[in-house]
Amino acid sequence: MALKLQVAGVGKDYLIPVIDSVAFGVEAGEFVCVLGPNGCGKTTLLRIIGGLEPATRGEVLLDGKPVVAGDAHDRKVGVVFQEDRLLPWMTLAENVALVLKPLGLSPAERRAVARRQLALAGLAGFETYYPGRVSGGMRQRAAIARALAIEPDVLLMDEPFGALDAQNRRIMQNEVRRIWKETGRTILFVTHSIEEAVAIGTTLVMMSARPARIRELITNDGAIPRGELIERLNTMIMEEVERQQGGAPLG
Amino acid sequence: MSASRWPARLHLPTFGALLAVVAVWSLLSWRYGAYLLPSPLSVVRGFADIVGSGEVWTHTGASLARILVGFGGAVLVAVLTGLAAFLSRLARGVVHDALAVLNSTSVFVWIVISIIWFGLSNWAPIFTTFMITLPVVASNIVEGVEQVDRRLLEMGDVYRLSGGEKFRAVVIPSTLPYLMAGMKVGFGLALKVSVVAEIFGVTSGIGYIMNYSREILATQMVFVWALVMILVMMLTDKLVFDAVSRRLARWR
Ligand SMILES: Nc1ncnc2c1ncn2[C@@H]1O[C@H](COP(=O)(O)OP(=O)(O)O)[C@@H](O)[C@H]1O
Ligand SMILES: [Mg+2]
Repeated sequence: MALKLQVAGVGKDYLIPVIDSVAFGVEAGEFVCVLGPNGCGKTTLLRIIGGLEPATRGEVLLDGKPVVAGDAHDRKVGVVFQEDRLLPWMTLAENVALVLKPLGLSPAERRAVARRQLALAGLAGFETYYPGRVSGGMRQRAAIARALAIEPDVLLMDEPFGALDAQNRRIMQNEVRRIWKETGRTILFVTHSIEEAVAIGTTLVMMSARPARIRELITNDGAIPRGELIERLNTMIMEEVERQQGGAPLG
Repeated sequence: MSASRWPARLHLPTFGALLAVVAVWSLLSWRYGAYLLPSPLSVVRGFADIVGSGEVWTHTGASLARILVGFGGAVLVAVLTGLAAFLSRLARGVVHDALAVLNSTSVFVWIVISIIWFGLSNWAPIFTTFMITLPVVASNIVEGVEQVDRRLLEMGDVYRLSGGEKFRAVVIPSTLPYLMAGMKVGFGLALKVSVVAEIFGVTSGIGYIMNYSREILATQMVFVWALVMILVMMLTDKLVFDAVSRRLARWR
């Protein structure tokens, strides 16, 4: 079966080489969790895949077509950033409806889709609230609803629950997992929490210290007991964090 | 409106201070005479006179009309300047430097130049108002434009919003509060400056009538028109700028 997403030897240099070379393929409907030490280039990788940043080396193929940074491609990619990035002067429903404009939906259709997606994210009844009037968890859910509203081929999420407390984090993990099951979207989820990755991902990508490569690609199908898997990943990430702090001249 | 809120709204300590000022004022007026310091009562009477005769509207209207043109023009040019600064980094640098120069130019410079250029006409106070308020409003807009959250614009890119949509949804709402702040300060300045410029060469407006009152030794009318200025200022602040700002901030 053809790959939904193919990351082919992607690398990125800023002042220092951040990503050496990363390659992996994602099939439609997979839930990929990307793990790695802080500052190893997870956000950078996600931005390259989303077409927000050009790669220095290699390329990203979405349905076999290259993603070019800055170019409008017809494939729909939803991105949930670490911050919610909602427009504070628009209600939750207006925020969702806004991103449907380029899809050519009528205002009535946009409103209907916004309602439906907000309800799916557990925000029914909060459509007319401004982002400043709801909790951080609800804002992040609205951002997820917005990303899902465009019916993206691929949903990219960059530590979307980083700002949440443990309890809200748990709730949101279940929420995302449920939405993923219901919609069957392909999801690429960056996190630095191993427990989170093991709890929700079908495939786990462990990145190495900077300049980043893939240290290990693990299919999370229950073949390895959860506790053992978490322990193995913990060992790996400790090694990589140490390598990054010891080896790289910049922190 | 409950009765218990009135003392708070009147702000009793301020009211007390006002009474004290009026008392001292009366005393000084009695001591130095009506030419140097007219009594509070004569000022109140003078105010009633110009309201009764409608003269208050003639001169206030003339001043406001000039402000509308001069200040309105400044707001228009400031918005265009902000737009240029948003679209081009090069323009932003030029605008910054130009505003620094304009900001350090005195009112008097523009009054003298406007008399040379426009003679003793309406255009002299209009031009002066324009030149003085432009840098104030433009500085605010340019700052607002620089404060636009790039991350929100990037969100617009992710969802493929057109340039126009991003402008409407992101740039305008985040810049409007800065524009309003600039306009509030700018309008106050416009009123103060245009009145000074009206001393020269025009035969209507608050500045003209104040200077005329001085010439005919009607000092109480100088005070009356000063009072009119203060009222215009406070009313536009409350009724226009505060109301609009509140409406703009309803999502906060
Ligand atoms: N725009 C940029 N310019 C220069 N360096 C950058 C830029 N973006 C990220 N970096 C650097 O690249 C490295 C990886 O950053 P990032 O992808 O945000 O890591 P992660 O998301 O894994 O924590 C960091 O050292 C960071 O300082
Ligand atoms: Mg990151």
